[in-house]
Amino acid sequence: MRSNSMFAYNLSLAMQSFKRAPTLYFLIMLTLSIGVGVLCANLALVNSMASDPIPEKSDKLIHISMNTWPGDQPPDEPMHILRYRDAMKIAESDIPKRSAVFYASGVYARDVDSTSMKRFDSTVRATTPGFFKLTNAPFAYGSAFEKSRGMEVVIGDDLNQKIFAGKNSVGKTLELDGELLTIVGVLKPWVLRPLFYHVTEGRAFNLTDDIYAPLETAIDLGWSIHARSSSADNYSGVEDTRDKNAYYLQAWVELDDIHQRSAMQSYLDNYSQQLKDAGEHPLATRNELHNVNEWLTEKKVVDQKVLAFTIASVLFLAVCIFNASSLLLSRFHAAKFEVGLRRALGASNRQMLMQGLTESVLLGLFTGAIALVLSWLFLKLSVQFLPRLANIAVLEPKLLVLGMLLALVTSIASALYPLYRANRYTISAELK
Amino acid sequence: MLKMNNISRIYQSDTIQTHALRDFSLNVKAGEFVAVTGPSGSGKSTFLNVAGLLDNFDRGQYELDGVSVQGLKDDELSRLRNEKIGFIFQNYNLIPDYSIFDNVDMPLRYRGFSASERKRRVEEALEKVGLASRLKYLPSQLSGGQQQRVAIARALAGEPKILLADEPTGNLDSLMARQVMEILHDLNKGGATIIMVTHDPDQAREVSRNVQVIDGQLADFRIYAPLDRSTGKTVSAAVKEEMADA
Repeated sequence: MRSNSMFAYNLSLAMQSFKRAPTLYFLIMLTLSIGVGVLCANLALVNSMASDPIPEKSDKLIHISMNTWPGDQPPDEPMHILRYRDAMKIAESDIPKRSAVFYASGVYARDVDSTSMKRFDSTVRATTPGFFKLTNAPFAYGSAFEKSRGMEVVIGDDLNQKIFAGKNSVGKTLELDGELLTIVGVLKPWVLRPLFYHVTEGRAFNLTDDIYAPLETAIDLGWSIHARSSSADNYSGVEDTRDKNAYYLQAWVELDDIHQRSAMQSYLDNYSQQLKDAGEHPLATRNELHNVNEWLTEKKVVDQKVLAFTIASVLFLAVCIFNASSLLLSRFHAAKFEVGLRRALGASNRQMLMQGLTESVLLGLFTGAIALVLSWLFLKLSVQFLPRLANIAVLEPKLLVLGMLLALVTSIASALYPLYRANRYTISAELK
Repeated sequence: MLKMNNISRIYQSDTIQTHALRDFSLNVKAGEFVAVTGPSGSGKSTFLNVAGLLDNFDRGQYELDGVSVQGLKDDELSRLRNEKIGFIFQNYNLIPDYSIFDNVDMPLRYRGFSASERKRRVEEALEKVGLASRLKYLPSQLSGGQQQRVAIARALAGEPKILLADEPTGNLDSLMARQVMEILHDLNKGGATIIMVTHDPDQAREVSRNVQVIDGQLADFRIYAPLDRSTGKTVSAAVKEEMADA
């Protein structure tokens, strides 16, 4: 009861203190808010970049890179894109629990029943059916297509919102670049940060796709490749690539344990060796398996510039704390008489410390609120200058909590030295 | 009530050692009204600061209301100050943006009293000094004499064992000074122990005992009035008996 009433008293004293020197306290809050806000905005970017997009099985999902280039000038590293027959060799293996082979494409889409002729520019993932379970794609309506060939598609929430106003569109027909495909599944809003299944070509922070189409159908329809590709042969279109040395497919497998991973490695190495023995490529056998986080690290998904800026913003925050501390010191110095009087009238050093800390915590809460608004503004500003950050400039709830904690910690840190000094005042000297 | 034996307080700067109090001894009985006089720089204020536990001392023994203060921790010293001592300062030391009520209430906050108990004590203390109707006033809305009466109410609200007054009328004109002294005398008649530092020889003559401090030592004391009406002994008799015992 006593401590409660002292806490309430200390809170009222803190508010009085703010009222006495509003400009000074506003400056302190602003100084700390800018420091915390900048750091928080950077941490939000780093958090999005460095977070595990599929933590429930990121260690089991494996990206495969292979080294089967037939030409005289082989790439330095195994390639993350595969040719059709290599990818199919992976898909037909029974070692993985499931696999996904896909490439990125794009089409213009419209509801065939619509009276409007408006077509929506849509990203396409042409994939084998295993993609959906492998990536834990969340379905709102319907389900995945079951075969790699068929005039069926799954669409994402964004496209479903645009064309069908978010309603259940399973069974509807889409006209995709002049072809009619039936919707068999609609996904829920699905955010992957980073977009682990396609982090190359600067796409790590892209949105998930609009349309998921069966791989063979997409190839048959000649839907062009909208990502990096390399070819040692000439080909007329994607439909002509199955037996060519055209590299454009990515492959992921789901392996339950280290034994399966080892078996998969052997399987790929044996396959590469057979190709080499047959004289199909001159290279040393080199196939690489990376789980999700290894793959994100390998591809340097966390922007080094953002990391450097984050370190710089930590130092900037330290400067802000130092400045706020100096301002608080002047405030405490001005309040020496009152400190002396309260001590003379019976307040202990501990009680004065609690009074100061209560003020700091209150200051920290106000600072936190301003800092979070500033963080949001800084993120908006970042997106203006670097549009590619649009999908990761997000203040998640944990960042909001972290921002508040940072504000509290910095506010208390700023007050520590002034409080230490205030507790060393000689009472009689302050009352003269 | 207050026993000081051979108290020394030395202020040390880089080059100079100043003996503010040297072997200072004083014994104040409960109910006494002691005036402490002496020239400027003689050590009166240092004595009052040490007596009020606002400053440390370097040597000697000091007992306040039966409690030896040597070696006490900050929490214990603060509690002693809060419960046993009431301060009245020359320049009132009121917080300007606090109401009269809040100023008087301040020491009670650190005592842990309930809100109702604090309210009762504040109102009673202000009633005693004739300011019960000005609870919501700010200090700046009162005259100097009234502000000093608020300071006296603040000192009284905690029902301390001893009142320490540092030139309580030093900033007041003679009329207001008279009013404040009357309040102090009334309190003394009611049983309060008061030690008052003053430059005013007339005020010093009005109290039960006047001690003079010169160069940090007790130089002289004069006794003007009987103390213990129940025993019939005067203060001089009591002190002489005590000195004889020592």
